[in-house]
Parts: sequence; C-alpha cells; structure tokens
Amino acid sequence: MIWNPEAECMPREELEKLQGERLRETVRHCYENVPAYRKKLDDAGIKPEDIRSVEDVKHLPFTTRDDLRDNYPFGMFAVPMEDVVRVHSSSGTTGKPKVVGYTRKDIDTWAELMARTIGCGGAGKNDIIQNAYGYGLFTGGLGIHYGAEKIGATVIPISGGNTKRQIMVMQDFGSTMLACTPSYALYIADTALEMGVDVRDLPLKYGIFGAEPWTDGLRKEIEAKMAVRATDIYGLTEVIGPGVASECEVQDGLHVFDDHFLPEIINPDTLEVLPPNMPGELVFTSLTKEAFPIIRYRTRDLSMLKTDPCPCGRTHFRMGRITGRTDDMLIIRGVNVFPSQIETVLLEIEGTEPHYLIVVNRVDSLDCLEVWVEVSERFFSDEIKGLETLEKKIQHEIQNVLGITVTVKLVEPKTIERSEGKAKRVVDNRPKD
Amino acid sequence: MWIVAANVLVGSLLEGMGSACEMIWDREHECMSRRNLERLQLERLKETVRRIYDRVPFYRQKMDEAGVRPSEIHSLSDVRKLPFTVKDDMRANYPFNLFAVPMKEIIRIHSSSGTTGTPTAVGYTRNDLDLWAELCARFISAAGVTSDDVAQVAFGYGLFTGGFGLHYGLEKVGAAVIPASAGNTQRHLTLMQDFGATTLVGTPSYALHLGEAVNESGIRDKIKLRWGLFGAEPWTSQMRAEIEQKLGVSATDNYGLSEVIGPGVSGECEESKDGLHVSEDHFLVEIVDPETLEPLDYGEQGELVITTLTKEACPVLRYRTRDITRLNPEPCQCGRTNARMEKVQGRTDDMLIVRGVNVFPSQVESVLLEIEGTEPHYMLVLYKEGVMDALEVWVEVSERIFSDEMKELRELEESILNRLENALGLSIKLKLVEPRTIARSEGKAKRVMDLREKTT
Repeated sequence: MIWNPEAECMPREELEKLQGERLRETVRHCYENVPAYRKKLDDAGIKPEDIRSVEDVKHLPFTTRDDLRDNYPFGMFAVPMEDVVRVHSSSGTTGKPKVVGYTRKDIDTWAELMARTIGCGGAGKNDIIQNAYGYGLFTGGLGIHYGAEKIGATVIPISGGNTKRQIMVMQDFGSTMLACTPSYALYIADTALEMGVDVRDLPLKYGIFGAEPWTDGLRKEIEAKMAVRATDIYGLTEVIGPGVASECEVQDGLHVFDDHFLPEIINPDTLEVLPPNMPGELVFTSLTKEAFPIIRYRTRDLSMLKTDPCPCGRTHFRMGRITGRTDDMLIIRGVNVFPSQIETVLLEIEGTEPHYLIVVNRVDSLDCLEVWVEVSERFFSDEIKGLETLEKKIQHEIQNVLGITVTVKLVEPKTIERSEGKAKRVVDNRPKD
Repeated sequence: MWIVAANVLVGSLLEGMGSACEMIWDREHECMSRRNLERLQLERLKETVRRIYDRVPFYRQKMDEAGVRPSEIHSLSDVRKLPFTVKDDMRANYPFNLFAVPMKEIIRIHSSSGTTGTPTAVGYTRNDLDLWAELCARFISAAGVTSDDVAQVAFGYGLFTGGFGLHYGLEKVGAAVIPASAGNTQRHLTLMQDFGATTLVGTPSYALHLGEAVNESGIRDKIKLRWGLFGAEPWTSQMRAEIEQKLGVSATDNYGLSEVIGPGVSGECEESKDGLHVSEDHFLVEIVDPETLEPLDYGEQGELVITTLTKEACPVLRYRTRDITRLNPEPCQCGRTNARMEKVQGRTDDMLIVRGVNVFPSQVESVLLEIEGTEPHYMLVLYKEGVMDALEVWVEVSERIFSDEMKELRELEESILNRLENALGLSIKLKLVEPRTIARSEGKAKRVMDLREKTT
C-alpha cells in the first residue's frame, strides 16, 4: 500500500530538482543557525549559494558522531528551544549520549515518513498495530506510534517486554501488524508456542522489524513461524529515528525516502563517493529537518545503493540491507553498545583489572551479553561475599550507563588472552545467517 | 483560537513585567458562568445518553432494567435516574464490548496492567485524542507551564494512560517534551542538569525520591526546575511542601483515571492550589454516599462518580471511581469557574496504590491459585524504603515444599516472584513462609498490612 503516491512515485527528474532546492535551503539553514556547521562550511570554503544542484552534495563536509558529542547537548540545534517540542537521545560512544530535537513540523514530517514505512509494510487505517518498540528517549517507540496514528490505524502502545502480555494482547485485541526488533519477534513466536498459542492462527499479517541488522535466514524463520510478511525498516536517531528507509513488498532493498534524506555511499577510508551497487559506508544529508538538520552524516553502516526502478512503482532509490559496521559498535536487542562504554565503566570500578571480554550469545533468539572481567589477585582470594558484591556492582553500573542487563563473570588474573596489537575485546557467537 | 493567542500575549507581557500571571488555556470553557455551563452540560448529557443507548448493548440493557429512556433526561439532576457503572462492568465487557464506534474509528487502545485477573481496555477516536490533549493542556497551563518550558516526563509510556496523557498535553502546549519514562534515577538527574528541564512530571513519591537524590548529589543549584505536575497516587500537603523545598518547584496535583479518559479530569491551579479544577464541560461529576449511593451536596465528602459528556469511543455513565473527595462550586481566585474537587483522601475499596501503580489483593490471589505448592494464605505488606513505596508479599507454601530441597524451594520462589511481578506490573519482594504463619480470621481475611505512615 503506497501511503503517499505523489511523493513516493515522483519522476526522478522532478525529485532530483526538489532535492537540489531542499539541499540548498538546508545548507543555508545550517550555515545561518548552527555555529558548528558554519565553521565546517567556512573551513571547506563553501557558501550556501554554491549549492546549485543535488550533485553539489559531494563538496560538503562530513559530520560524525564526534561532532554531536562535542556539541552536547543542544549545540547543533538550528532553532531556538521555544520551537523545540521534542527531545530524543540514544547512547553515544563514551559518556555523552547523542541528543536530537524536533519542531512541530519535524514531528509531522517524521509521522509522514513513518506512515510511508507502515504502508510499505502492508498496513493501512483498518489495521491494528501492536507497537512493541521501546517508548521513551529512544526514537523507536514514539516514531512508529505517530506514523501509525497518522494513518488512522488502531495503535496499541505496548512498548517492549512482558512477553506473556504481548501474546495475550495479540490474541485479545486481534493485532494485524507487529512492530519490534526482529529478534524479539522470533522470541514472541517461540514463547507463544510454549503458552500453547500458534501465532499463525492469529489475525497477525504484517511485521515491520528494525533497529538491528537481520539476515534473510532470520526473515524466513519469522515469516514461517508467524505467517506474516516481515519487512525490514531502517533509521537512526541522528537522521530522524525510524523512517529513513523501508523495504516494500518486493523485499529487495529498502527505499530511502530521498525527498527527505539524500543517501550516498562512500569509501570509509578515502571518503570518495562510490557508484551504485558498490558496497561502502552509508552517508545521509537531511533535506527538510528544522530543529536538527544534518549534513553528510557518516552512519558507519555498510550498504550499497541501487538505482534501478523497483517493480512496486516507488521511485525512491533503494539501499541494500545493512551488512555490517565500519566501527566496533554492537547492537544488542536493538540497543547500540560500544565496547569502549563498557571499558569506561570498568575502569571506574575498584578491584577490576583493565582486561575484559565481551561475549555475545543468542539464547532463545534473544541477544545476551556476558562481560568477563579479570579481578585483581587480592579480590579473588577474599571472601565470596566481596566477589558477589563486585559482580553486582559491575552489573548495576553497566545497567545504569548503557541501559542493558548483562551477566558478569569475574575471572582470575591472566585468564583473558593478551594480544600484541589491538586487543580482541568482543567474541560474537551469534549466527551469521 | 484568537482567545488562546490573546492569553499568550497577555501572559508573556505580564511575565515580562515580573508578575506571576498564569495562563488559562481555554478561557471560554474554564470561566463560563454556572448557568451557561449547566446548559451546555445538559445538552451534552442528553446527546451522550441517547448515543450510548443506541450503540452500546450493555448500557441499553442496564437502562432498560432501570426503566429509564434517553428521552427522560430533562435536567441535570435526572442523571440520578441512570444506573451506575463499576469496574467489574468493564472487566466483564473486555476487550471491546463497551465501544460505541466501529473498530476502524478507534486509533488508540490503552489497557490496565497484569496478565491475571481480567484486565480492562479503553479506546479513543481521533476526536477523543484531541479532546484528551486539550484537557491535559488545561491543567498543564494551570500548573504554570508554557511553550517556553522543557518538560521531563517521568511517567511510564505504554499501555498506561499516564505518560501519554501528559505527553500529548505538553506537546499541545508547545513545551519541549523529554520522554524520559519511569525509573533510572541517575539518568533523570543527568537529564535535569544537561537538558535544563524546567518541568517535572511523575508520581509525587518518585518526585520526592528524585528530590532527595538531587540534594544528595549536591546538584540542587545546577537544576532549573520550576514546575512539578504530579498525580496517579494520593499525596498530602506535607509531601507537597517537602517536594517543593527539595526540588525548588511549585508542585500541583492532577487527577484522572483510564476508565474515564486518563489524566485530564481535573488539576490544581498554581495560583491557589486549593482543590482541583474539574473540566465540567466534559465530565458531569457527582458525589454519592458509597454505602447508600444517595447523592450528596456540595461540600459533603463521599465517592466521586463521573459521567462523560463528549467522549466518542468509550463514553461512560455514572462511573463509580471509588475515590473519596468533595466538591466546591465557588469560583476560584484564578478566575476559573468550574467546580473544584478536594485532593483525593482515600478509596472505598481494597485497591492499593504502590509507586503509582494500582494493586488489588485479588490479583495476588489469582496468581497464587494458579501455582502448585502454595496455600491460599498470603499477606501484602506495604512499607516505605526511603520515600518510595515497597511491597513484600508473604505466601504460605505447603508442608511438602518446605521440607524439600533448597533448590526446589528457590525455583518455586523465583516462579512465584516472576508471575506476581508480571501480573502486577511492579517489582516486589517475596517471602515464602511455613504453613500456619499467616493469621487466620473468622470473617473477611485481613490481607493487607500497610505500614506506610499516614500523614494528613
């Protein structure tokens, strides 16, 4: 179901002209209102008037997560706080989370893009959408919520967790679309079977899954176990949240809503722009955002761009499904986790040595994180109570800082392998397909 | 629309002049003469009763049994001819049998917590959502909040109506909303400092907890809080004074319940803090004697009963809230003319409120009855951990289990704990006790030991 045929099926020539106009306006907006961007543009010797068409994007400087960190919390906002009606944030590399803001118009734009996403996923105003993405500072829950509301579907804002209740609600309210991470979808299906409920017998028909990378193998499993059409959706907080791109019924690449976000693929080392079908790092430039516009944001996600027309009729270019990261970020049950964050926590706790290992397993289709930490000789020979307290403390601190629950395993000194070069800090046991 | 714009202008002018002027969100309806208000209420009451009768079989049956037709509502006091609605009616009609519109017009569902005992569900049309946001905008403005504010919402977002009601109301007012959700005190402190929050929204006990954390961390002079909007549990004026002192805010109470709409039924004005202004143009309120169900006069304390006047999806007739309060019809010095209800003093039933979450002893009972190895003897012990409510559930286990291996006992403990926490939507402590530990009683079993201090 195409939510906005006029925009989603716009002829490329018209679309590219629109992109050019919006790019120029965005660069002007950034130049005039965000000191960090004015400096970047001045350093690059570019003025807003120099942007004459969408091709000129390649002359613009890049933005990275360091820029956000350096301008924490509101330094990159392009409008006064009185015009901001929403703030969201997601975890950053060290200490400071990434913070973004939205004007009323940005919220409307976001809802429009999510309406398109839900339409791509197959649902419309007569559907009942169970939104099991987390509601709160993360963009997932509220993002899907406003889009579903815009379409006029029945929204069940159940948020994540309490799986037994998810299944009860799915039965009692007759949900026809499920929105959550793909691993949680599978977990729901498996838990339902344990409860004697076969999701295939329920009215559920569609699923929009994202916030973590997932393979075609996992898609087939979800579709088989739940009898739904499982659609991959993509987004990131720095750009808007969910609503940057979505698969359509063809399930061959995700349409980037490129009337609002200009995608590029670059070589992460040389920074040169790559042609279609070449894998590289995804970069986005926002074209319509007011409070938090962004210029050539380096996502660290690996993908490629397809420019051939899609049988669904949408003319937005498609990006390939994300194949990996250019950095060491992990995604655990939809939450971004950087090993360096865990390191920071550990370094502050007395009794630990700076040798740790992060082990990622998948248990019952859910990601589980185990943190192995070497403790000093003294600690290990002390009472069991001391060790237990330390274990709990580490677990508690990690929960506070990262918002995730991990199992902590304290090990004797010298247990974790030393290395000559860059220490191997992560063992990811999750299946690759 | 121009009325609102003029208010904003006047409001900001006066603020510029250093005067503490408060904005009335909808002057036309919040400052109506009693006569005009009653006329409007009657018109809407007739419409609502007609609509409910025509569209909701359950209410039609109730009205037929009571021998009353929609055409017999000629005056506001005729509301007394209508039958009451109670929580069990909602449970019995779960999930959607009380809806007055087809599913395709429902764009939101909210529901009570728990997986045992029958839950309830409420629905909203687009107009209902707009109304809800409007009603919340009223008390949010009455509390002092404007579009210049940065609001930190410490209510949970989800199937509860609390978080969402405040969120949409704040958004309507134009404040910058930080949807922080509940829990993780450290993060709340970080947000307060880093984002310069000027408004805090949540339960009063959590606010007090945050207040203590703020002072212990020595960041009291780094935060910019000015307004506190608290509800979902009863709180005393002593508690208000403590919160105001610890956080440096002006704290107001607001009231609502999901069976009626969620937050937005009433709220205090910052100017007087003497009763919660009820949005009477949308809710017809009565006070009745909880035993005899006879109507009581203004000023008399009794049970609050609410009839919705404009809700589309889930209109409700004479809903018995079980909340004890009284009504004051005198116009307030703030200029609003709608009646004020006193801060809720207590409940007429056995429902408890623990950290803002409704808990019925019967929920615990339902869970235990499902689990093998437990006896049907339990006790809910409520106490305070610092300023926060805490709940410990004592459960008697059968002789056999107690004499069995530690491992089995521990597994049983974990199983009961998980199921109780899921059912209640709350984290609790559990204590398994030997048979015959919990006192037996001749009559109605005493299931609750509430050790929390009653400061009035």
